[in-house]
Amino acid sequence: MKLRAWLSGTAMVAMASLLTSVGQAKDFDGVTVNVMTFTGPQIAEPLQRRGPDFEALTGAKINVITVPFSDLYTKLLTDWASGTNSIDAAVFAPQWMVDYVGPGYLEDLTDWAAADTALQADDIAPFFREFSQTYNGRTYLLTLDGDFQMVYYRTDLFAEAGLTAPATWDDYLNAAKTLHGKDMNGDGQGDYGSCIAKKRNAQSYWMITSVAGGFIQAKGTSEGVFFDSASMAPLVNNEAFGAALDVYTATTQYGPPDEINLDVGDTRSLFTTGRCALTLDWGDIGTLAIDPENSKVIDKVGSVMLPGSKKVLDRASGKLVDCDANTCPHAIDGVNRAPFAAFGGWSGGINKAADAKVKQAAYAFFSYMSQPAQSNVDVTIGKTGFNPYRISQFDKIDQWTKAGMSEAAAKDYLGAIKASLDSPNMVLDLRIPKNQAYQQVVLDTAIARLLAGEIDKTAAMQAIEAGWNELNEDEGVDEQLGFYKATLGQK
Amino acid sequence: MRLSAWADRQAAAVMILPAVLILLAFSLFPLLASAYLALSRFSLAAGGYKIRFVGTRNFAKLLIGSEQFHFLGTFGRLSVLDYLILGLAVASCGYGLWRYLAGGRAGLLGLAGRLIAGLLALALLALALIVLNAPGFPGSLVVTLVYVVAGVALQFALGLGLALLCAQPLKGRNFFRIVFFIPLMVTPVGIAYAFRMLADMGKGPFAPIWQLFGLAQFSWASDPWSARLVVMIGDAWQWTPFLFLVLLAAIENQPRDQVEAARIDGASSFQIFRDITWPAIAPVAATVVLIRLIEAFKIIDLPNVLTNGGPGIATESLTLHAFIAWRTQDLGASAAVGYSLLFVATVTCVAFFNLVAQRTRRHEA
Amino acid sequence: MTPARSLHQRLLEPADVGAMAPLAKLACYGLLGLWTIVVLFPLYWLLVTSVKLPIHVDAGPVYLPFVDFMPSGHAWRYIFVELGNDTLRPYLNSVIIALGSTALAVLFGSLAAYALVRIQYRVTVGSILAFILILAGVVAAAWRFGVPWPLATAIGLALFLLFLGSLNRHLKQALGNNDILFWMISNRIMPPVVAVLPIYIMFQQLKLLDTHLGLIITYMAVNLPIVVWLMRDFFAAIPVDLEESAQIDGASKLRILFTIVLPLARAGLVACTLLVLILAWNEYLLALFLSTADAQTLPILVAAQNATRGPQWWYMSVLIVIMIAPVILITVLLQRFIAQGILVGAVKG
Repeated sequence: MKLRAWLSGTAMVAMASLLTSVGQAKDFDGVTVNVMTFTGPQIAEPLQRRGPDFEALTGAKINVITVPFSDLYTKLLTDWASGTNSIDAAVFAPQWMVDYVGPGYLEDLTDWAAADTALQADDIAPFFREFSQTYNGRTYLLTLDGDFQMVYYRTDLFAEAGLTAPATWDDYLNAAKTLHGKDMNGDGQGDYGSCIAKKRNAQSYWMITSVAGGFIQAKGTSEGVFFDSASMAPLVNNEAFGAALDVYTATTQYGPPDEINLDVGDTRSLFTTGRCALTLDWGDIGTLAIDPENSKVIDKVGSVMLPGSKKVLDRASGKLVDCDANTCPHAIDGVNRAPFAAFGGWSGGINKAADAKVKQAAYAFFSYMSQPAQSNVDVTIGKTGFNPYRISQFDKIDQWTKAGMSEAAAKDYLGAIKASLDSPNMVLDLRIPKNQAYQQVVLDTAIARLLAGEIDKTAAMQAIEAGWNELNEDEGVDEQLGFYKATLGQK
Repeated sequence: MRLSAWADRQAAAVMILPAVLILLAFSLFPLLASAYLALSRFSLAAGGYKIRFVGTRNFAKLLIGSEQFHFLGTFGRLSVLDYLILGLAVASCGYGLWRYLAGGRAGLLGLAGRLIAGLLALALLALALIVLNAPGFPGSLVVTLVYVVAGVALQFALGLGLALLCAQPLKGRNFFRIVFFIPLMVTPVGIAYAFRMLADMGKGPFAPIWQLFGLAQFSWASDPWSARLVVMIGDAWQWTPFLFLVLLAAIENQPRDQVEAARIDGASSFQIFRDITWPAIAPVAATVVLIRLIEAFKIIDLPNVLTNGGPGIATESLTLHAFIAWRTQDLGASAAVGYSLLFVATVTCVAFFNLVAQRTRRHEA
Repeated sequence: MTPARSLHQRLLEPADVGAMAPLAKLACYGLLGLWTIVVLFPLYWLLVTSVKLPIHVDAGPVYLPFVDFMPSGHAWRYIFVELGNDTLRPYLNSVIIALGSTALAVLFGSLAAYALVRIQYRVTVGSILAFILILAGVVAAAWRFGVPWPLATAIGLALFLLFLGSLNRHLKQALGNNDILFWMISNRIMPPVVAVLPIYIMFQQLKLLDTHLGLIITYMAVNLPIVVWLMRDFFAAIPVDLEESAQIDGASKLRILFTIVLPLARAGLVACTLLVLILAWNEYLLALFLSTADAQTLPILVAAQNATRGPQWWYMSVLIVIMIAPVILITVLLQRFIAQGILVGAVKG
């Protein structure tokens, strides 16, 4: 580790000349950049690790300030909205961008990025370059991490039981049921069929959307999964969402007893210590599973695009209908699959109100983090939390085998990511104003209450629908509809 | 020299004004501003924020609107027993009021205070009964009351029991005092994390014990009451020693000669406790319970760290509720929840002070 | 007296009045010991976890370093070496803020407490009513109608002084020292979550957000009631004749307080300071709202360890241990004062 850091450090001295488009080496002497993100090691770790290298290179000191994930959105918003401006730059979810760009807190990076050859923007996968980093056609963020949800399964257990990678959620449930209770790590105790992070106020609202996507969206990315794009009516009180809730609650039977109190950190640790047959997660599992220090499932992990459904929502009637060429144009083998670009990947944005010099230093830092020399190493290390998002990262298998992945596993893992990325039926995360209130409060609370048995499925669907409608009315239905259609690329 | 002379002449003002001004700035101003915030809608706008007056909408949402389940709870059905309990409570409140009026020393302020406290107590009791019954489910208000009432009662019982047993001349008492003081020094966030580690059924230190009892598949975090219990245990760990130490000191101060005389007369331990010890420590007990009541209403760190308020909303306290609302920029709702908490806490504490704490002092006099 | 006592008697009855029977003594020690374990075990677990590797935590519990597992300093190294400044900065912030706010709270609190013991105040109901009404007016004017707040405050102050005289004539009922004391203490009832939003907005106007000064002032304000409450009892216990003779010698009130009274109330002062210091050191909610980067305190850092990769128990334990250690050290050093200080104060209520 140390050696590698040192090597990349010396490599960077050579890279320094490439940074000249933004500033000369040692150009930022005496400049301090406060960068906020959530608590490490993930995301914060690479920033903290590479900060001193960057300082040696340019003179700019990087202060990494961390807050709990659940406070990050508000901390940034209040700091910038109140004019405190303690935070010069931040690494956060592109999903929140709309709330920051609207009032004008974020610096427009379009021209800087265009002039920055070292960034190698063409190497960034189009989804991130054109959707994730931009708002209204302007670039406000630099992607540092690619995020998709996928399903991971234990290849050894699946082969043993004669199962194949799940294509539908019924397959998923079936596999979880078959394998639940088997000893999966050789300690003589029964382990779990499926581990999904279902803790409240954590990540569970992305999980339910991952399940629901395949039931609700069939006609391509621009159809959208959250609202009807004609009326802004929430798509949560219908047979399709109900079917997704059924799947979601059914997985609990095959999960750990305290699954309802687990966040992704807990489920990742369970999966990599060999205690689960299936899990639903971002790309992190792929790299965490090859970490020899903590993983007991090295080379036993398969990854696959999110499963789908053979029946999809008919938006007019709210009923589920069978897949055919008409209803599911993108179906594969009669199964409609909709990979979910949950969260959209950690990205760096810069406070417009910061000093010019500080802004330049912050941009140089993000560009430095994203350049292949750094990024292509970081995405292969589990604890960085960075997942691949550059085309060169998919093509160069040797980076991954060097990091400890077998060639087969690397192909499988990168293949699943690439398949999701290439899918025309990708589900986009919600990017309308107040999306935190829609997802983190209304959706999350209703799902938590459903799982806790406080309310039943019907009541949960009604609660989400009522809550979202109320928010729509508060913010203005037409305004929200406009934003929603804009994020989907609809006119 | 002249300045100090002036300061001395104005000593009365100079000495108390700083404290008064600070408290005014940090209590009266926030109180008024918060009230306004609770009646408005906050939204971000270009270059800052907008605050729009919406009247009682935020409160309506909590009491009868879409957030009712969250604040008050989901209503269940009342059984005959519950009606009996309620009836009894109404009757005893009425009797108390009648005695107060008949006592001949009733004042307008006292009457108003008693009416408010009585009505609030009855309303909260009724609410607790309704939401704790079968199809019902408590919201953050009742959950907070459970933490306050059951939590403080548990801590008081434990603290008093330990103090009584140990109010004997023992060597090394100072050592125990220092040790028992430690939990008070640990940051509540730290306690919450420590208890999350301890309560982990698979990785915690008690995991072998759970397995021995066949409880490895049980999860305290999935059951509302066991989750609340774990929160209360963490709270008790921090605060029981405080009650213990103070009550122990009070017991040591009780009239020794009376106790000895009673013992020579052959009084039983229970009699001594009832007739001598209890009256002697009652004022202290009341004060220390009041201190705990005041702080207990503010609980947030433990449920936030242990369960994030889950399962469902089962462990969410009012402060956590307000905090979550703040986190999504719903400042109006946050202030409305906070204000409701302030109202309940103030009435409870003032009523306790006037009706219980003051009375124990009158005995003393 | 009774030379022949049976074994049964010797065990169950005290040797003389005021002493304890051996069995009862044993039971007491047993219970005290049990509670000591209850108190110390979580702390022990933190200490042990801080030297565990992730694998030691994930694979189920191990209890004794060197016996069950080989301790590792990796978490300590991470926190102190790799994070270095990112740990040190919040630590220093916490030290500055806790010490600063405690010093101010004790100073102003003691002044007020002494005044309430030795000086009789009369505050008329009229002046209070006028004050509240005018304050509400100022807030409304500044907020709703966009009057600049310094102007609104100035007008409000002028109006208050103007109306004070006439109102005092009409509403003569007055509040005394006990009412003032009760008002001060009652501030503690206010949940921080109610106060923090307006404080946030106030600090934004005064440019105090995310500054040490902002948090020092806030902590001073929330802890002031406790100081007044506790110190009042200590001052009341000091015989008044000492001060009277000093007064005859021409010493001023403030001088009497600092040279005679405070030294006499030393035990209470130390205990009270310690209590306030601990409260400020551990405070979480207000810091979460009012600090972002420059003034971030330790509890925020601890809370932030719950990362998406799962709670990092080992790092968290290190942070909690280094948070508790100095406070425990101070307490042990000052234990003499605590035993007589806090307890006496609390007992007097």
